[in-house]
Amino acid sequence: MLKKKPFLSLLTVVGLSMSLLAGCGSASDAKTASSDSSAAASSKPVSFNFYFTGSQNVKDLWDSLEPMFEKEHPDIDVKMVYIPSGTGAEPTYDRIVAAKKAGKGSGDIDLYEDGIVTVSQGMKDGVWAQLDTKDIPNLSKVNTNTMKDVNNYAIPYRSSAVVLAYDSNKVSNPPKTLDELLTWIKANPEKFAYNDPSTGGSGSSFVQTIVYKDLPEEDIHNSDPAVMEKWSAGFNTLKEIGPFVYGKGIYPKKNQGTLDLLMNGEVSMIPAWSDMVLQQLNEGLLPDTIKMQQITPGFNGGPTYLMVNEASDKKEVINTFLDFVLSPEAQEVIVNKMNGFPGIELSNMSSEVQSKFDGVAEGFRTFNIGDLGTEINKRWQSDVAAQ
Amino acid sequence: MSKEFRQSITGIAMVLPSFAILLIVVIIPIIQSFIMSLSNDSGGYDLSRYMYLFTDKGMRHNIVFTLRITVITCIVVMLISYSLAIYMRFNQGPIVNLIRKTYMIPLFIPGVIATYGLINLLGNHGWLARMLEVVGVTLPRIIFDEKGIIIANLWFNIPFTTMLLSSALSGIPSSVIESAKDIGVGRLTLFTRFIFPLSYKTFLVAITFVFMGVIGSFTAPFLIGANSPQMLGVSMQQVFSVFQEREQAAAIAFFSFLLCSVLGAFYIRSMAQEEKGRI
Repeated sequence: MLKKKPFLSLLTVVGLSMSLLAGCGSASDAKTASSDSSAAASSKPVSFNFYFTGSQNVKDLWDSLEPMFEKEHPDIDVKMVYIPSGTGAEPTYDRIVAAKKAGKGSGDIDLYEDGIVTVSQGMKDGVWAQLDTKDIPNLSKVNTNTMKDVNNYAIPYRSSAVVLAYDSNKVSNPPKTLDELLTWIKANPEKFAYNDPSTGGSGSSFVQTIVYKDLPEEDIHNSDPAVMEKWSAGFNTLKEIGPFVYGKGIYPKKNQGTLDLLMNGEVSMIPAWSDMVLQQLNEGLLPDTIKMQQITPGFNGGPTYLMVNEASDKKEVINTFLDFVLSPEAQEVIVNKMNGFPGIELSNMSSEVQSKFDGVAEGFRTFNIGDLGTEINKRWQSDVAAQ
Repeated sequence: MSKEFRQSITGIAMVLPSFAILLIVVIIPIIQSFIMSLSNDSGGYDLSRYMYLFTDKGMRHNIVFTLRITVITCIVVMLISYSLAIYMRFNQGPIVNLIRKTYMIPLFIPGVIATYGLINLLGNHGWLARMLEVVGVTLPRIIFDEKGIIIANLWFNIPFTTMLLSSALSGIPSSVIESAKDIGVGRLTLFTRFIFPLSYKTFLVAITFVFMGVIGSFTAPFLIGANSPQMLGVSMQQVFSVFQEREQAAAIAFFSFLLCSVLGAFYIRSMAQEEKGRI
């Protein structure tokens, strides 16, 4: 008996490690197998995968919308996959395209949420499904011009814009134009901060607005690398204000990084997402003295879109879900929970909501510069951060 | 089948599973990323990605910065941990008991939370700054500076290192120390001739752990580091997922692996020498 023991333990060790190794490989197979079988058996709920990205507020939004939807439709199971911003949302799109090119169907990504850049890229690559009012009745509530912009390939289900957030106790007369803002930054050293553009949209919007300051309007819809040659003036401006921003050249990480500085009074003005500011005002995280101001020409802003993967075989349930997202009840959640601008036209919302957005939802510009956004971040890192 | 043969087969078979795991999760990925790092923009293979590491000004600063932070952290951690461990080994009383009970606490606090705690404590308008303001002292900039990264690394590394060193020191027989004292050996000689040589091996293990932990650290440098220079981990993440240059990120990864393997080789060699000496 005693002699056999080493072999017994050896067997255990081999068995354990094999199962460990095997576990690594088969996990994904098991997942696809289970989703296939659930689609086949009609008694089980049909599930589809929904990928979305953004800051914590976007995750909170979907975390509250999903149970609402699944309560109404117990036969549909929404599998949400959240990808925090700045951690590689781009690969999700790459996966969709790769799956299409490899002929592997949807690549397990049925519904995807992203900005206009991905929408137009996907229209070029032909990966989005065209949507129809027949399948999604609530689609008629969305502004028809906005739908025409994207050729019905995507649903603008909410929007938000980058604005200047400032402490009205310290700044009585906020800048109204970009030039006024630049003068203000130089006149008030270390009282302005913008975040590292590669880690969040508000800093990136500020950088892009400056870089495209003196360029013709059509360049912000141009993803041609030739535009890059015209960037030098903008980057020089950014370098110039470097010694005047917070900490003589400290750029916090993520959208929340600058909001934290505004919160504890280290700076008095930052570019920030309107929805994040409103939400944190509501929750009392930001003091009441924080106000918002849009400048002209406006910062980056615009709708966030939902796109259906053309290759998905679950379009029917996805349409049901999209119809729900565009319903006034769900849009109300977007307004209350996230302080986003609703995706459907305001006339469909309660009068209370309508008054809240009187005149606020205007003034932002939509940048559509494709991969140049990454190039700007790269150049910012070497030219501005490492100066 | 002779007994020796059977034993050696058993020995190899026992090692095989762990080697297989090592092969799949460590060795193959390293080789893969090395191959990926050799490919250049035009599709061929050369060392251009590594050239970039040393020719780009920002990247060169990142490497020097990472090494400086790592070396400073190693030295300070070793000084503090070693003195703590020695103090706890050779002294008794309420203070020793208090240290013994509390020094492990940082190990149980998640990294992100500890880092945010440090930001709140040491930030420009943090608690410490507000408290010192009363007595008229202005703090230098700690957060968004290398001082912040070093302090965070100290917080993460001191407990474990102290634990390692204390266990090594408790392995030194009291009789050795006492007899040395009896023949009138001074404190300094006692340390250099007895305590240090007897705990040298663990000292080396500890320094290896700290070095590797700090050089690859991400959370604290990402949240409290400046935008430039960056630690290699932060820079790697930026190159990989923001700039989408996987080959360049692979080159940085392989380079930091090389940095670690230098210390690893040193460590393994001294271990092997010790084994030989024993036989």
